[in-house]
Amino acid sequence: MRRRLGKGFWIASGWIGLVLAAAVLADLLPLPGYDETLVGPPQAGPSLAHPFGTDSLGRDVFSRVVYGARVSLGVGIGAVLLGLLIGAPLGLLAGYRGKATDAVIMAVNDIALAFPALVFALAVVAFAGANLRNVLIVLGVLGVPAWTRLVRGTTMAFAGREFVLAARALGVRDRRILWREIVPNVSVPAASYAFLGMAVVIVAEGSLAFLGLSVQAPTPTWGGLINEGRTIMENAPHLVLAPSLVMFLTVLSFNVVGDRLRALTDVRQSGLEHVRRAAAQPLPTAPHTAGGQLLQVADLRTHFVTARGVVKAVDGVSFSLERGRTLAVVGESGSGKSMLIRSILDLLPGSGVVRGGKVYLDGDDLTVFSPQEMRQVLGTRLAAVFQDPMTALNPVRTIGTQVAEPLRVHLGLSRKRALAHAAVLLASVGIPEPGRVLRRYPHQLSGGMRQRVTIAMALSCGPDVLFADEPTTALDVTVQDQVLRLIHRQRQERNMATVLVSHDLAVVAEWADEVIVMYAGKVVERGPAADLFERTRMPYTEALLQSVPRLTDPAHHRLRVITGRPPDLAALPSGCAFHPRCPYARERCVTEAPPLFQETREHLYACWYPRGTEAALADPVPVDPVPAALGDPGPAGRDRNGSEPGGPGHNGAGRTGPDLKRTELAGPEGADNRGR
Amino acid sequence: MILHRLVRLLVVLLVVTFLSFALLSLLPGDPTTQILGVSATEEARAQLRQELGLDDPLFVRYAAWLGALVTGDLGTSYITSVPVTEALVERLPVTIELLIAAEIVAIGLAVPIGVAAARRAGGTADQALTALCFALLSTPVFVLGVLLILIFAVNWQVLPATGWTPISLDLGWNLTSVLLPAVTLGCGQLAVYARLLRADMIATLQEDYITLARARGLSPRRILWRHALRPSAISLITAIGLNLGALIGGTVIIETLFGLPGVGRLIVDSIFSRDYLTVQGGVVLISVGYVLVNFAVDLVYAAVDPRIRYA
Repeated sequence: MRRRLGKGFWIASGWIGLVLAAAVLADLLPLPGYDETLVGPPQAGPSLAHPFGTDSLGRDVFSRVVYGARVSLGVGIGAVLLGLLIGAPLGLLAGYRGKATDAVIMAVNDIALAFPALVFALAVVAFAGANLRNVLIVLGVLGVPAWTRLVRGTTMAFAGREFVLAARALGVRDRRILWREIVPNVSVPAASYAFLGMAVVIVAEGSLAFLGLSVQAPTPTWGGLINEGRTIMENAPHLVLAPSLVMFLTVLSFNVVGDRLRALTDVRQSGLEHVRRAAAQPLPTAPHTAGGQLLQVADLRTHFVTARGVVKAVDGVSFSLERGRTLAVVGESGSGKSMLIRSILDLLPGSGVVRGGKVYLDGDDLTVFSPQEMRQVLGTRLAAVFQDPMTALNPVRTIGTQVAEPLRVHLGLSRKRALAHAAVLLASVGIPEPGRVLRRYPHQLSGGMRQRVTIAMALSCGPDVLFADEPTTALDVTVQDQVLRLIHRQRQERNMATVLVSHDLAVVAEWADEVIVMYAGKVVERGPAADLFERTRMPYTEALLQSVPRLTDPAHHRLRVITGRPPDLAALPSGCAFHPRCPYARERCVTEAPPLFQETREHLYACWYPRGTEAALADPVPVDPVPAALGDPGPAGRDRNGSEPGGPGHNGAGRTGPDLKRTELAGPEGADNRGR
Repeated sequence: MILHRLVRLLVVLLVVTFLSFALLSLLPGDPTTQILGVSATEEARAQLRQELGLDDPLFVRYAAWLGALVTGDLGTSYITSVPVTEALVERLPVTIELLIAAEIVAIGLAVPIGVAAARRAGGTADQALTALCFALLSTPVFVLGVLLILIFAVNWQVLPATGWTPISLDLGWNLTSVLLPAVTLGCGQLAVYARLLRADMIATLQEDYITLARARGLSPRRILWRHALRPSAISLITAIGLNLGALIGGTVIIETLFGLPGVGRLIVDSIFSRDYLTVQGGVVLISVGYVLVNFAVDLVYAAVDPRIRYA
């Protein structure tokens, strides 16, 4: 808690304490009286005897500022307490009772908030008389609506929580619930707001005082001092600067303290702040050969540096893809599928992310492309469709503007021609009346139509590879098949390659040529679709397959699920990440991470005891001749292996640097080169 | 929906005008003495009592006052003998120009600041701009004004400290005289706006449609300004409406500080000359204007966000 509040909080608290102490103890301090004239030469600048100088009557400005703090802080504390005492009960009532009580209180509140507060304060003080009591009451009452709203909001959030609902169901008295359960939870946001409110009231009181409508002379006020000083600003700027500086620092301190207290309760903000900027050094890449494939991904890694540690969202993924083929990426939520796509396309969020590995498009290394060069590739050669068509389109731009944009940017078409082309594109993805749809906004279209629009946008510049990240998950079952057929047909017509991310194995079986199965950021099994489904080796793949409900299952058949939860990426289990959930796990799985083994040239799996083989009993032969698990081969051994590209059964594992040596990897070239 | 809003608007207007009217009843002692001073004749007081309807019940007086208000009659000042409406109308253009200029300064600076800060949240630029906004937010408007006068008018002598040239007289001088007040007033708002825009922008930049815009190879500048700004501007527009109250409160101080002959200055001067009817008229004008502008802001929403327009 201490650390989370930060240094600024303590400095600000110190200043507030200092000003408060000075205000309270002003009479005891060895200061000249605030209205004692000619304690020094008039209008003298700051000196040892008079740290803030003297005013035109020779009064000590420091003393006047200290006594001014009494008014500022006194009105501040009084008004904040007044607002709290009236506003908090109203807020508790509205938030806890809800319904009609809430409606009435909030309606009145809304009306109260519709007032220009300072003008009203000014008018009331002007009519009722400018003195401490009136200023305090007016500023306090004007603060009530904000207090009510704050307390109501927090109360509502807690009144709906389980422990409060449970207490209510048990018949605990409302008053007891309010005091025991709700008030403690409201107190932190209220404390935060008390400080922010102090800042507001101090400024408001200062404004009134500046206009001469707060506590009257001879009592000094900060606003009054600034107002007095400004008439002789040319000759004695310290008269204005000293109270200005003190006032600024005080208001700033109250704001800082309030803001830090609020950050304590605001999960969103505190999560963001603690993400350190990731180290600039790139992650090492396993040696590999860039082949002639359309798309080749080699040892791709995406690590997030978070407060809880490094999250390896993508951890050494390799594959390659030819024109006209479909690669499916399967796995549970959080397995790194979507992050893999974003990582390939370099669409990662700005800070706290490190990407390693290589992505080749027709042999060109995209990871060394400048952002500008990358933009030439994105949209024109690589295109993407995401899961949720509801969020994939900009809600405030028309369909036409959005579909035509890549055409105008990349192909340089005029607005008119781009729109005409956009209409053709929409028609090609099966959208009726494309001319009308162009003028519509996304929310006016159905989910299926929106997904067709996003597909049309992705296809607009004729990409070579289409990345479809769960393109049908958010759609109706009846629409899912249409969208998949559309993607399939476009792939055939345009001779594109498709990367299809999915957790729906039925979809994968129908459309994919090759499959990679991901678990905790790693590829755990990979191979031609038919082979992988027939000869499943990795227990995780097996579990995924078994969890697909079948029509042949008896009615009320219990759904098979994978037991346990997907792993916490910031704290992965030791050894094989799947072992805590694996029914076949043995001791070795707990201690050592399995490398990728070869079933056939294309079919690889990461498991010590693969299903359906005798290896489930005996240890299998790893792809890598020198897996790190068998002991460190030493740098010489690694170098020798690394200098033999195209060696049989060879891949980059074991040469990824000392800190990564437990990560066994199969580069795509290992399998691919062997047959050449 | 529109009907609901109109009803609400009417209720708020009734409450606001009633409170403005009731201000006079806050006067301690005999209001006629307060308004006319101790030396006033008994006839003058009797006339005032009758005009203010002090012997009638409060709501009857309010109804009569409201009826007059609707026709634009706010009474005649006992101090200057000028109809209050006339005095206000004469001063109003100055205040409106100040408000518009301040909003232009605030929005014109807040949008680039908010966008620049959100572009790389947590980066150096973001931290510097966030700190700047926090400092501006903690600076009372009169403190800022005094500092700017000290710098630009006293030390560098590039801008006038006080004074006003009407727009009809000389546009150049008019702009010179409004520049410093507008910057002062706008800076406090700037921080509020920039912080809001930054927060919303950061949220927007995490949306799928922004990632997909990047996936289409669009430039960061295009994405920030054409794709992210408008969906992020909704809170900003609300804030512009809601903060108008603070801004109007600020004009009272700014007009006093810079010697501008606006409505705010008129109110302050009238307070000190005990010209209560003019004060009341000014408060009515400002409150009603504020409520109406907020209502208009609600409508502008719809234009910015088509989702609301069709809801």
